[in-house]
Amino acid sequence: MMTSFAPSALAGYLIVSGLLLTIGMIGFLVRRNLIVMFLCTELMFQGAAIAFVAVGRYLFDYSGQVMVIFILTIAAAEAALALALVVLLHRQKDTLDADAYGELHE
Amino acid sequence: MDSFLPYIACMTLALTVYAALRPAPPTVQVGFIAVGVAACGWLIGIVIGSLTQFGDVSHGIFFIIFSLFAVAAAIRMVTHDRPIYSALHFVLVVISSAGLLLMLEAEFMAFALIIVYAGAILITYMFVLMLANQAENPEDPLSQSTYDSIPREPAVAVAVGFLLLCLISGTVIGGTSELDTTENVAQHWSVLEKLPKQFETNVENIAPDFAWPPVTQDGNSIRHDANGPYIVSNDGVVLYLDASVLPTNTQLVGWSLVNDFPVTIELAGVILLMAMFGAAVLARRAIELTERDKRKAILGFDTEETGDDA
Repeated sequence: MMTSFAPSALAGYLIVSGLLLTIGMIGFLVRRNLIVMFLCTELMFQGAAIAFVAVGRYLFDYSGQVMVIFILTIAAAEAALALALVVLLHRQKDTLDADAYGELHE
Repeated sequence: MDSFLPYIACMTLALTVYAALRPAPPTVQVGFIAVGVAACGWLIGIVIGSLTQFGDVSHGIFFIIFSLFAVAAAIRMVTHDRPIYSALHFVLVVISSAGLLLMLEAEFMAFALIIVYAGAILITYMFVLMLANQAENPEDPLSQSTYDSIPREPAVAVAVGFLLLCLISGTVIGGTSELDTTENVAQHWSVLEKLPKQFETNVENIAPDFAWPPVTQDGNSIRHDANGPYIVSNDGVVLYLDASVLPTNTQLVGWSLVNDFPVTIELAGVILLMAMFGAAVLARRAIELTERDKRKAILGFDTEETGDDA
């Protein structure tokens, strides 16, 4: 049986997930390397996963952990597509600088 | 004054992240990150109040260690000017958050996270990074591409990000105690009613003398009182249930997955399939075929060669 869980302990987990989400968002806005930008979105997914599991644990509800399975699915699909796009763009201009792709037409 | 403390901690963190984003020698950056992590520790300390909130002080200490490691690695990942090291720091974030999930009794998710994230997704990122990055001379800082070392609009990004963090911390402090869990505890046990075979076996393990099946009331055999959940047999024996009767965490996650989200699994499968097609189509290189090659591909033999022989 899961032991009960203090509300402020849940608040601690939520703050950590909020910190990861915020840092990931800052990274996405600040970095100019396309691959690192996508890596930062994965960091935001991490924050969301911790929040899901913590709240699920607090409410004795396993849907929170099921959501993490779906987050993993979406993250894997996103990584595959985003990296394929990045490889395609890199072949065109030979740089990973996001600012270099302001105009995509040939 | 106390209500402003979280905002002051958030602001300290924002300033150190901003300072760490500026181009500086690595030692100076690590110093800023250390101050930022201290501010994080302060913020987390304000939120949880005391380590005894976790029921067990060692649990609280592990929580602090894992969360500070996760935040430190996340800041270093965002500020590091070499993409490969960013990816490696992300592995550290994944491992620390797997530690947090372990403490939340989500063992399956913790190890799935390490295997899928650190093992599979990060390897793909590393491959593309190594493919796209030109060989750089680590001795010469000027060989580093400028788009990796110079951030874009760090002040605005940090301000917006930490406004969001202030909002989150303001909501979380005190907000979590308003959640009511009494109904969820009853629901938590009712999953056993849907797994009668396992229920019977598990009850037999703790009380071999119990006369199965238990009496049902309004369709439910598990009842609740102040001492916890219990079942009553036909001859009036009351048996209080404990943790060993419940299925394991992984079984319960699997049950929730197929019972509550059957359509979502199908959708996830379709999304993965589409991602696979999309990646294959995007990364495909167009091959220029000459007239002769096309003819050869259709007919199965080289027409010009046979022509020469004749």
